[in-house]
Amino acid sequence: MAVSASYEATARAGDAPLPDAVPETAPGPGAPPPELVVRGLRKTYEAETAPVRALRGVDLTVGHGEFVALMGPSGSGKSTLLHLLAGLDRADEGSVTLAGVRTEELGAARLARLRRRHVGLVFQFFHLIDHMSALENVALAALVAGAKPAEATERARDLLDTLGLLEKQGERPAALSGGQRQRVAIARALANRPTLLLADEPTGALDSDGAAEVLDLFTRLHRDGQTILMVTHSADVAGGAQRIVRIRDGVLLDADTSGEPS
Amino acid sequence: MGDAFGAIRAVARAELRVGWRATLLMALVFGLVAGIVLGGIGLAGRTATAYPRLVDAVHLDDARALVAADQPQLAAAVPSLPAVAQARTDEAWIAQLDGPALRFVSIGAPTTEHEALVDPVIIDGRAPARDAPDEIIVSEPLAQSSGLGVGATVTLGMLTLDQVSRFDVGFGPPAGPTTTVRVVGIARMPSWGGALANVQAGPAFAAKFLPDIVGYSIYVRFTPDADAAQRFGAAFARTAAVVDQISPSVVSQYLPHSVELPSATVDPSVRAAEQVLVGGLILFVVVLALGGLQVLGQSMLRHHSARGGTQGVESALGMRASERTAARALAAVGAAVVAGIVAGGVALASGWLEPLGSQARFEPTPGFRPVWALVVLGGIGTAVVFLLVVAAAAAIAGRRRAAVVPPVRAAAINPFRRWPAAVLGMRLAIHGRVGRGGVPAVATVVAASLAMAGVVAAVAFGASLQRLVDTPARYGQAADLTIVDAREPDVARLVADPRVAALDVGAAGSAELADGDAVEVASRDVRKGHMPIAVAGGRMPAAPDEVAVGPRLASRLGVDVGDTLEVRRVHGGTVVLRIVGKAVLTSQNQGGIGDGVVVTPDVMRAITPGQPLYDAAVLAVPGTADALFAELSQGLEVFQREVPTAVGNLADLVTLPELLALVLAVVAGAGLVHALLTSGRRHAREVAVLSVLGATPGQVRATLAVMAATTVLPALVIGVPLGLGAARVLWWQLATATGVAGDLAVPGRLLVVIVPAVLAGALLLSLAPAARAARTPPAVALATG
Repeated sequence: MAVSASYEATARAGDAPLPDAVPETAPGPGAPPPELVVRGLRKTYEAETAPVRALRGVDLTVGHGEFVALMGPSGSGKSTLLHLLAGLDRADEGSVTLAGVRTEELGAARLARLRRRHVGLVFQFFHLIDHMSALENVALAALVAGAKPAEATERARDLLDTLGLLEKQGERPAALSGGQRQRVAIARALANRPTLLLADEPTGALDSDGAAEVLDLFTRLHRDGQTILMVTHSADVAGGAQRIVRIRDGVLLDADTSGEPS
Repeated sequence: MGDAFGAIRAVARAELRVGWRATLLMALVFGLVAGIVLGGIGLAGRTATAYPRLVDAVHLDDARALVAADQPQLAAAVPSLPAVAQARTDEAWIAQLDGPALRFVSIGAPTTEHEALVDPVIIDGRAPARDAPDEIIVSEPLAQSSGLGVGATVTLGMLTLDQVSRFDVGFGPPAGPTTTVRVVGIARMPSWGGALANVQAGPAFAAKFLPDIVGYSIYVRFTPDADAAQRFGAAFARTAAVVDQISPSVVSQYLPHSVELPSATVDPSVRAAEQVLVGGLILFVVVLALGGLQVLGQSMLRHHSARGGTQGVESALGMRASERTAARALAAVGAAVVAGIVAGGVALASGWLEPLGSQARFEPTPGFRPVWALVVLGGIGTAVVFLLVVAAAAAIAGRRRAAVVPPVRAAAINPFRRWPAAVLGMRLAIHGRVGRGGVPAVATVVAASLAMAGVVAAVAFGASLQRLVDTPARYGQAADLTIVDAREPDVARLVADPRVAALDVGAAGSAELADGDAVEVASRDVRKGHMPIAVAGGRMPAAPDEVAVGPRLASRLGVDVGDTLEVRRVHGGTVVLRIVGKAVLTSQNQGGIGDGVVVTPDVMRAITPGQPLYDAAVLAVPGTADALFAELSQGLEVFQREVPTAVGNLADLVTLPELLALVLAVVAGAGLVHALLTSGRRHAREVAVLSVLGATPGQVRATLAVMAATTVLPALVIGVPLGLGAARVLWWQLATATGVAGDLAVPGRLLVVIVPAVLAGALLLSLAPAARAARTPPAVALATG
C-alpha cells in the first residue's frame, strides 16, 4: 500500500494552534454538538496498476451518544473512512470535524493530542503490544496522555475490572483468548475516556461467543452514553447498532439524515 | 513423494521468482564475509605456523658449538661426542666490513659437503656457487642493518686470532687477508648470531681462506634420546676442560667455547607476539563470523517472515513444514553456490597475505601460498551454512505463523515510569525478538559488547605498543650512542664535549645467584647529566645492598620490589641485595631486554668474576647525534641506538591493533546500524500503536531514542571495562615476555570520546526509523506490520 503523500505533507507541517470549533451541523437548542462531522471526504490510493479510489465524497454525521454501524462489503472503503476519521491517515479532499475541531488543519502533534483526548480505537486484530501485560497495555494509553503512573495503573485496573478481566491483568496477550484480547483492546481504547469510540471490525477475528461478548459490551457502553462508530461487513453485528450506514465503492448509500442524539 | 517434490519445486520456483534478487544479494554479502573469515583463518594458520615451518625448512640443528681456531682438537672431537647423530663443521672468520663506521661481522663456510643440517632459506637471490670464493649470502638482519642487497659488493678485512684476543685494548686495522665479495642471496633463519655467522660463504671461500680462520662452528643433530642434550653438554664440557688444560685458547675471553641449543631458545617475545597476532585474528574472525551470521539470519528471517502468509496458504494446501522449508532451501541453492564460490575465491586470494607482523620474518615460503583445503572445504561449508540459515529462517518464519503461542504469565508488573517513552523504548529493545523475526536482544548485547571490548582492547594495546616503540628508554635504549670497550681517555673527552648531554659508563658481566642460576649484571657509573633509564617500578640502586631487576627476570624468579636477591660473591659467600626497582636495560651480552640485574659499581666488582665489558652510553644534545656518531665512528666501535629484535618484532605490530580496531569498529558499527535500523522496522507496528494511542511525533522519537540507547548502553557498560581488562592482560603478557614495563597506556581521550560518541551515534540512528514512522501513516503501518 502506498504511503499517502498528503499524510506525509501534513505530518511535517507545524503544529498550529487548535482552531476554533466549527460545528458543521448546527445542533438543536440545548443539544450537544455532534461528535463527528464528515464532509466531502475523498481518498485515492496509488496502486501498482491503477489508482484505487477508496472514498469518493463521503458525508457523515455522528451525534453525541449515537451508536452507528458503518456496514459494507470488503473493499467498500469503510476501514479507510475509519482511519481518516481517527487521523491515522490523511484525506485527499474534504473535512473531518471531530469534537468540533477540523482535523485536516492540524499538525501531527496536535492531531495526536486530539486523538488521545477524544478518540478510542479498536481493531479487528487487537494490535496489543505483545510483551506487555494486559494491565500495562491499558495503562500505556493513559500514560501517553500524560496520566501519572499510579493514576494510569488504577484507571487500567478499573477498566479491566469493569470488563471482567481483572484476574487476567498480569497476562500477556498471547495467553488470552481472542475475546479477552479484544476486551483488553477496548479497555485500552477507553483508557482516556474518549468521546468517540471507533471500532474496525471488532468481531472479525472472534468466534461467535467472543463476538457476542464484544457486542454486548458495546451495547452497555452505548447505554452509558458512549458515542460509537463501528465498521463491519456483517449485518448481524450491525444489527446491534442504533443506526446503520451502508457504504459501497466509497460512497455512502443511505441518506445521512441522522446525527441527532437519540 | 513424487507429488510432494513436484509441489516443492513449484514453490521453489515461485520463491525464486519473487525473491531471487534479495537472496542473491545476501549470498554475495555472506560469501564475501565468509571469504574474509576463511582468509582470516588461513592467515592465522600461516602466522601461527610460520616459525615451526621455518624450523623444519632450515633443518634446524639441535645444538651448535663454537670453538676457537687454536683448539682444533676440541672441534674435531665434537662429532664423536655422545648423543651426536649428525654433525657439520664450518670454518669461521671475523672480518671488518668496509664502510664509514667500524663494523665487524662473522663469516661461516663449510669445507665439505653436508647432509640436510642448518640450511638457511634463501628468500632473495641464490646460494653461493660451490666454486665461487667471492660469493656470499647474508642474513636478513645484517642485510637490513647494513643496507646490503643482492648484487652488492663488500670488502672484508679479516682479523687474525691474535687481534681477536686483543679486543679490549684495540688492535688496529685488520691483519688478515682482505677480499671483495658479492652478495648473491639474502638468507632467513629462526635466529642468527652466536655460532651461526651472519655471512655464509661456500666451500671455495672456505678453502681459500682456511689458514685465516678464527674458529669453528659445529652444528649437531642429536640422537632421539630424552637426555641427549644433557649428555652432549656434559661430554662437551669434559672434553673442553681437558683441551683447555692441554692447550688453552688465546681468545678464551672473547671467543669462549660454548654450546647453544637453538630450538630450545626461541625468543619468548616472538611467541608472545605470535599469540597476540593470532589471538587478535581469531577475535576478528569470530566477531566477523558472528556478525555475518546474525545479519544473514536476521535478513533471511525477515525475508521469509514478510511472506509468511504464503506459507500459511501452502500449509492449508497440505504442504508439511519440512516440505515448505525444503522448497525455500531449494530456491536458495543457486545463491548458496554463489556464496560458496565467492567465499572460496576470497579465501584463495588471501593466499597472497604474508604472516602478520613480525611473523612474516619467519615465513619460509614467501609469496602466494593458498590453503587449498580451506578454499575448497570452506567454499562448500559456506554454501551449506547459507542453505542451513535459509532453511532455518524459513522454518522459523513458517512456525511463527502457525504456532499457537503458549500462555505466558508476564513478569511482575513493574511500576510504570513517569515517561512512557522510556518504559516502552526499553521494552522494545529488550524484547527485540518477540513475534518479529529478530535475534534475541541478549545476542545483540553480547555481540555488541564483545565488539566494543575488542575495539577498546585493540586501541589500548596499540597505544601501549606505540608508546613502547616511541620511547627507547622503555626498552633500555636511552642512549643515542654506545661506545663499545670505552676507554677512560675517550670518556673524558666525551664528558668535556658540549654535544654530550649525558654519559654513563656501564659495565656488564655475569654473576651467580645463591641457587646457582646465572644472571646478567650491569652497573652504571654516571659521569655526566642524567640518562633517562626506564624504571618500571621503584628506583635504581643507590646503596651497596640494593639491586634493580629486569622485569623479565623478576617474572622468571617470581620476585618484586621489596623482596631480596641472594647473589654469590666472587671470593666466597653471598650478598643479600634488596630489590628497590625494576629497571629496563638491554644487556650488552647475549641476554634480552629486562633479563639482568643492575647494581652499584662496588657490588658489581664483588659479584662478577673476570674483566667486565665496559661501554659508554652517550645521550647527545638534540640534533647532534648523527654528527657525533660520524666523528666517533672513525676511530671507535660505536653503535647508534638500535631497536632490539624483540622490540623490532613488536614495532611491526604497531599498525595491526589499529587495523583490528578499525575493522572491528566497522563490523560492529555496521552490525549496530543494522540492528538499530531493523529494530525500528520490526517495531513499526508497536510504534503505530503508540500513535493510535495519541503519542505525538516527539514521543515516538523519544521511544525510538530510548530503544537505541538501551541497545547500545550495555555494550558500553560491559564492553569498555572488558576491553581494558583484556588489553591489560594481553599487554602484561607481551611486556613480561619482552622484558619491558607492563603498565598499560590507557587511551583516556578515546574513552572520554567513545562513550558519548556511540550514544550520540545511536540516538542519531534512531532518527531514521523515527522519520520513517513519521512518513508512514499509522493505518499503513498497522496494515503491513
